[in-house]
Amino acid sequence: MRDLLARLAVGAPVPVFPVAGGGTREALARLRLRPDVHLVDTPRHAIVLLVLGEFPPGEIAGLAAVHDMIPSPRVTVHWTPGGPRDDVPRSMRVDGDDTALVAALSRVAGEVLSGTRASEPPIRPDVDPVEWRGIGPYGHGGKGMTGGTPFGRPLAERAPDRDGLELDQLSVTVGPWLGALPPGLELGIKLQGDVIQEVEIHPPAVTLERPDGWVRALEVPVPVAELELDRARHHLVWLGEALRVHDLPALGQRTLRLAQGLTPGDRGEVERVLAEVRRTGIYRLALRGLGAVDPSQVGGLGPVARAAGLEDDARLDDPTYQELGFRPVSHRGADAADRWRQRIAEITQSLDLAGRAGDRTAFGDGVVEGPRGRITSDGILPGAVTVDLLPELLTGLEWGDAVAVVWSLDVDPTGVASRSSPEGAAA
Amino acid sequence: MSPAWAVALVGVLLMVSVYLVAVMETIFGLRVSGVRGYGRAWALPMSRAALLLSQRRSVTERPDAQAWALAPALLGGLGAVALTAIPLAAGVEVADVDAGIVLFGAALVQVMVAVFLHGWAANSLFPVLGAFRMAALALSVSIPFSLVVITTALPAESLSVGLIISSQESLWNVVRQPLGLPIYLITGLGFSFWAPLQLPDARDLSGGTSAEVSGAALLVWRVARASILVAVAAMGAAAFLGGYLGPWLPGWLWMAVKTFGLLAILVWSGHRIARPRMETAVKLGWTVLLPLALVDVFVSGALTL
Repeated sequence: MRDLLARLAVGAPVPVFPVAGGGTREALARLRLRPDVHLVDTPRHAIVLLVLGEFPPGEIAGLAAVHDMIPSPRVTVHWTPGGPRDDVPRSMRVDGDDTALVAALSRVAGEVLSGTRASEPPIRPDVDPVEWRGIGPYGHGGKGMTGGTPFGRPLAERAPDRDGLELDQLSVTVGPWLGALPPGLELGIKLQGDVIQEVEIHPPAVTLERPDGWVRALEVPVPVAELELDRARHHLVWLGEALRVHDLPALGQRTLRLAQGLTPGDRGEVERVLAEVRRTGIYRLALRGLGAVDPSQVGGLGPVARAAGLEDDARLDDPTYQELGFRPVSHRGADAADRWRQRIAEITQSLDLAGRAGDRTAFGDGVVEGPRGRITSDGILPGAVTVDLLPELLTGLEWGDAVAVVWSLDVDPTGVASRSSPEGAAA
Repeated sequence: MSPAWAVALVGVLLMVSVYLVAVMETIFGLRVSGVRGYGRAWALPMSRAALLLSQRRSVTERPDAQAWALAPALLGGLGAVALTAIPLAAGVEVADVDAGIVLFGAALVQVMVAVFLHGWAANSLFPVLGAFRMAALALSVSIPFSLVVITTALPAESLSVGLIISSQESLWNVVRQPLGLPIYLITGLGFSFWAPLQLPDARDLSGGTSAEVSGAALLVWRVARASILVAVAAMGAAAFLGGYLGPWLPGWLWMAVKTFGLLAILVWSGHRIARPRMETAVKLGWTVLLPLALVDVFVSGALTL
């Protein structure tokens, strides 16, 4: 029976839960396009735990918990686009490109399903988080009606809710590998029902992503065509991931496929897909009125600033862009829908610029307009500043709306790492 | 029909239709994502099912194990009960009851209970948020849903689905009550929490009520959910599109064609329409669909008189 099921199951895409470290944004997007792999939203639906990319030295935050959530049979694979991790056993490591990775994922999944490879045992011991047995008047860990830690869990706190009632408040940590949030983002939140009452940003779980082309443009002039295609590609990958979280995965895949091998000549197809995105009604149904930012807080944040009506763009000061007649697109509502409109408009604008730029070069004097905003030589990436907006914007929102706002900001938790590491070095 | 035959018939019908829904879902997904070649779509649901059957079920900390096991079975059972009320061809009705649409409605309103149990029982944050979403969603869509279904009984002057179908011999209800079918399909999507109204099992909750479920339990849940969609489409075909009535073809074939036509529209909309915010969905139910459903009742009632 097991053999029969395993043989039948070979035809299905391997359900993989990704734990994505630094420098894997594009690799993850490519992996989503592979028909033999299905990147799932929760470890419970996976067979393979895929750890990819770069992490700070030492244990990967939350990895053991994610591993143990995967039901048996389970298997772990490590893969780094740039080269193997040294601290991982060879049996769990895959070297090589995407194709080698997909082949390895299918192979290990087949082995663990047919039983030729043993399922991995849990990493963490199966014990209660705190002592509770035998404690208290009924031996359940509580102190009568309120208080104590009954059955090993602290009781929810109470606080006034938005209707003025005193209701339970639940403190939880979400992330860093929650499928609904960008990889590496960890938030401590207090929830009443599904309304967020308090948000705290936890230290990031991922090392600095190196946006190579953009950092290089700080020092030497770089071809405009190359930069603008990179920008369009960045926004298309963002759009694909955001559409997936908004439950339009097929349209998201189409967008991610466009990002592969993008050229200025693809403009017609890009416009067709963007029109389809608009036709889903996503602005009106899911985004309008959510997460409006104060324009005074978003200077230098690229599309987020321009969606709030600011003509904030380092390209305005660059002579090459001036020569090309560059004028930034902007919107005025400052909410999540406007940020989507902004990036979608910038995709076609960038393709247009890339097509007209010829072999002109731009930047090279310490300031670059990256896809998330202004990058300067001080090493602070705009994604870091965007993360700081979250506590204020998310407080008071329902969970689903909060997720929409996080994606509309194109938050980059790895940017936090880039900011905190110089401080760490100073200390 | 003897009980054994009835169970076998409903079981086979549901399995075949649910499989076809899965195939449709795959084909529409491939099409929207821009991939050519749909040959793979026919075998894919089978492989996926085998994969889920090879997986153990997951255990959370202190789940309500009985409710967790019950919920998928209850949901599937409700889909089957709802289907029994619908005549598949002239005179072929599994449960030949006088008040068939009441039986159908009674089965569907309990979908909320099954989904709530499913989310509640996992003893985990996102599933329980999904459970509360289902409560809010089902409450918002159930009154307009019931109103448009009951309105189809007015021209027939009967609550029997068989008589509702035969009352459409001269004119289908989709023409007689133009507001009915659109409202029915939107609210039906809500009851089967199918995209774009899959709020209880949405990705922003990492799968919502099924976020903690794996293996065979997940397979049963997905099959049960699709069976609700099938029941909704079959009743839509019977109540608005004249069911098995039609020229040339045998009645059962007309019924199948109409049901799968509606299923195609429902599955297609999941890939083409964005999932609304919870608040937007609730507002849609109470401030748009409910008044329109009342207009439907009053106008149809006046015309019948």
